[in-house]
Amino acid sequence: METTGTAPGVHPKPLWSVAPDSDRQAGDAVVSNFVLHWFPAKALKDSLAWRYSLWLGTISAALLLLLTVSGLPLLFLHVPSVERAYGSVKDIEYVVTFGYWIRSVHRFAAHFMVAAVFLHLVRVFLTGAYKNGTGRGQHREWNWVIGVAMLLVTLFLSFTGYLLPWDQLAYWAVTVGTNIASAVPLAGPKIRELLIGGRTIDQPTLIRFSVMHVVLLPGLLGGLFAYHMWRIRKDGGLATADRAAALPARAEVPAGKTKTYTLLGIARGTGPTIRASSVEAPDTTVNSVPDLTRRAAIVTLGTMAFISILSVFVHSPLEEPANALVTPNPAKAPWYFLWLQEIVTDTTIKIGSFTVNGAFIGGVVLPGLLVVLMAAWPWLDRSPAAAAGRWFPQSRRTQNLVFLLIVLAVLVLTFVGTFCRGPYWGLYWPWQAWPELPTRI
Amino acid sequence: MEKRTPAPFRKRDRAILAVVGVALIVSTFLFLYSYIAHDWRYYQGEFRNRVAQKFGEEKAATVPSGLQQIWVPELRHADRCVSCHQAVSWKGFEAAEEPFRTHPQEILRTHPAERYGCTACHGGQGYAIDAAEAHGPVAFWEEPLLSKSLGESYSLADKGALLQMTCNVCHRYDRETKGADAVNLAKNLVRDKGCRACHVVNGRGGSIGPDLTYVGEKAPEQYDYSRLSGQKTSFAWHVAHLKEPRALVPETVMPNFNLTTREAQSLAMLVMSWRRSPVPASFLAGAPRTDPQTPEEKEAERRMATGPGGWFVKTGCFVCHSISALGVKSPAQIGPDLSIAVEDVQSRFGRTIDDFLRAPTGTMSVVLSRQIILTPEEKAIAVQKLREAFAEHQKQKAAEQRAAPARR
Repeated sequence: METTGTAPGVHPKPLWSVAPDSDRQAGDAVVSNFVLHWFPAKALKDSLAWRYSLWLGTISAALLLLLTVSGLPLLFLHVPSVERAYGSVKDIEYVVTFGYWIRSVHRFAAHFMVAAVFLHLVRVFLTGAYKNGTGRGQHREWNWVIGVAMLLVTLFLSFTGYLLPWDQLAYWAVTVGTNIASAVPLAGPKIRELLIGGRTIDQPTLIRFSVMHVVLLPGLLGGLFAYHMWRIRKDGGLATADRAAALPARAEVPAGKTKTYTLLGIARGTGPTIRASSVEAPDTTVNSVPDLTRRAAIVTLGTMAFISILSVFVHSPLEEPANALVTPNPAKAPWYFLWLQEIVTDTTIKIGSFTVNGAFIGGVVLPGLLVVLMAAWPWLDRSPAAAAGRWFPQSRRTQNLVFLLIVLAVLVLTFVGTFCRGPYWGLYWPWQAWPELPTRI
Repeated sequence: MEKRTPAPFRKRDRAILAVVGVALIVSTFLFLYSYIAHDWRYYQGEFRNRVAQKFGEEKAATVPSGLQQIWVPELRHADRCVSCHQAVSWKGFEAAEEPFRTHPQEILRTHPAERYGCTACHGGQGYAIDAAEAHGPVAFWEEPLLSKSLGESYSLADKGALLQMTCNVCHRYDRETKGADAVNLAKNLVRDKGCRACHVVNGRGGSIGPDLTYVGEKAPEQYDYSRLSGQKTSFAWHVAHLKEPRALVPETVMPNFNLTTREAQSLAMLVMSWRRSPVPASFLAGAPRTDPQTPEEKEAERRMATGPGGWFVKTGCFVCHSISALGVKSPAQIGPDLSIAVEDVQSRFGRTIDDFLRAPTGTMSVVLSRQIILTPEEKAIAVQKLREAFAEHQKQKAAEQRAAPARR
C-alpha cells in the first residue's frame, strides 16, 4: 500500500487541522484533537448563528478559562491569613509585575461571568432550549437543572472570592451576605456558623472561603461544566438543531439512513437519534473545523481581549484593611446580591413593636422560591415541543413575559441597590452627589 | 478530490477573527506600557543625574535602581517611598526639591529609616509606588500623608506639626517629647486645665466626660458634624469642639477654656494621637509606658488630705475646687474657690448652700449625680465644712486687714 508510513490521522499538510481540505480531514481534526473532541464533526449552521445563542455559554466558558489562568498566579501570591492577606493583595496591586492587571482580569472575568451565566440562563429560558425535541433519549431538562446549579456555584465562587483581599469591602460584603443566610428559620445561625467557621468573620472564615474558592467550588464547577457539555452532545446539540430537524428539508435531499449512537455501554439503551437527512444535508450543516472552531476562537479570544483591555484601564478597588469596629457607610453586599439586599430592606417593616423580618423574606423565601421554581420549570412548562429552540414562540408567550418581568425586576432592584443607594441606605440618583462623608484628618 | 462541505462563514468570520487578534496585540502593548509608565523610573533617572553632577559618575553608579522598599517587620510596614525619595540618606541635597531632598538628619539619628520606615511617622500609603496613591488623598485610605499642605488646609501655624500626632503614638506617656512642640503644649494644657477632672486619660481621671484614653480610634462617622462648618473631619471637629464645646454639643457640661487656636489645634492633635496602635517594645526603649502621678503630685495630695481640708480631698471636690482657707489647692481650678461658697452660692443662685447642695443645678447637678455621690448625711457634713471654711476665710481676711495697715 502507498500509505504505509503514514499513521491514521497524520496528514501531509502541516495545518490540516486548522484548514482542512476535505470533510474527512475536518472530521479527523475533531476526533484526533484532545481539545476539540467534544465537538461533533459537523454542526448545524443554525446552531452557530450569532443571533440564536448569542454565544453566551461560550463566553461564560471563556471567562471560566480566563479565571482559572489568572487565578493561578494569584494563588501563588495571596496569603490566606488575616494578618497577611491584605498586604499580599496590596503587593499584587503595586509591586508584582503585571500584578494589578492579573488581579483586574480575575476580578472583571468574575463579575462578567456572573453576568454572562445569568444572561445565558435567560437566553435558554426565552428560547425554550431546555425542552426536548424529536430525538430519543434527550434529557435537556436535566441539563437546565445542571445549568441552574452552575449559576449558583458561579455566584458562590464569586462571593467566596470577595472575602479574600480582607479589606473593608470584603469584610462587610461577606457580613451582609452571611447575615442573610442566618435568616433561614431554625437552622439559620447554624448555617452561618458552618459557613464562616464561628460566630464572627475571622481567620476560620478566611481559610474556609479560600479553600472553597480555589479548590472545592472550581472543582465542582469544572465537573458540572464537563457534564453540561457532554449532555449537550447527548441531547443532540442545541435545541435549535432539533428544530431544524423537525422542519422540512430546505433542499431536496435523499433520505439517509437513521444513525444510532451508542456509548460504549456506559449509557443504557440507545442514544439520541438524529435524522440524518438534516445533519448531512450540505445546505444546513458545516464542518465543525473550521467554521465552529473559528467562531469559538472569535468568542474566546474576543472575551479575553475585552477583559484584558478593560483591566489595563480600570484597576480593582482595595479599601482599608478589614475592621470589625468600623462599618462602611453604606455597607453593600456584592452587586449580584444587591437585589436581595434591596428586597430585604424593602420588606423590613416596623409596625409598632412588631418587625417583619425582611431578611427572611428577601434572603430566604424569595430566592429559595425562585431557584426551586426555576429548576422545576421544564416539568411545569406544557408548551409543545415545536416551541423549543426559537426566540419568543407564540405558544410560550405568557411564561416568557412573566419570566422577563421577573428578570426586569431583578435587574431594576440590582440597579437601585448598586447605583442609587448611598449613606444610611438612602436613595440617591446615580448622578447625585452623596453627602460628604467625614474622614479622620 | 474528496467531498468538501462549503464553509459559508469563512470570509466574514476571518475578518472578525483578525480584528480580535489585533485587539489582543493592542492589549498586550497596553499592559506592557502600563507596567513601564511609573513615576519612579523617571525620578530614579533624574536623581542619578543629580548625583552624577554633584559627586561624579562613580558615585552615581552606586544609586540603587528598581523598586526599593524599607521592610519593618515589627510593624508589618513595607514602605516603598524610597523608590522615588532616594535622597533620604544622601547628604548634600538639603536644598533640593522633593523627591530629591535629603531628610533632616538629626531625627534619623534616633529614628533610623531602616528601622522605623517612613509611614510610621509620615502617614501615607507605603504600599503604593505612585505619588497619587502614596500621598493621597485616596478614597478608602484614611491615613493620609501628614504633609505640610495638609497642615496648611487647617491653617496650622507650624504647617508640619501634624506629624507630631504619629510621634505621640509611641511617645504618649512622655511628659515632654523633644521636637514635638505642639504635643508638648497640649500635654501641659491637659495638666493645667485639669482635663482629668472629668475625663479618664491614660487610665486615670473622672467619669463625667467620656474616657479619652483611645479616643483617637473613634471612627470619623461617630462624630456629629451637623453644627460644624468647614471640613468634615474628626480633627476639625475636635479643634472646633475644644474652642467652644457648646457650639457643637449644646447639652455638654464641658466648659469653654478660652483656648487659643494654636492651643485647640495642639490639643486636637494630642487627642487624635491617642490610638491603640501596636507599638513594638523595641521601639519604646527608654520611653515611659505608663502615665502615673509624679511623686511631687502624690505628696502634695497626701499633705492636703491630712490637713484641715482633708474631707474635700477625699470626696474629690478638690479636683475642680480649691479651698484656699483650708490649704487645699486644686490642680485644675475649674470651679470657684469653695472658701467663700457660703456667700458665693447665695449671690450666684439666690439660694442657701444647704438648699443648693440638696438640689444642685448646672454643672454641679451632673457632678453630684455622676461622679461624687453624697448621702444626705454627707451633704450635711459638706455644709458644715463649708461654713467652717468660710469662717476660716473671714478670720484670715480680717487678720490680713489688720496686718495690712500695720505694715503701712
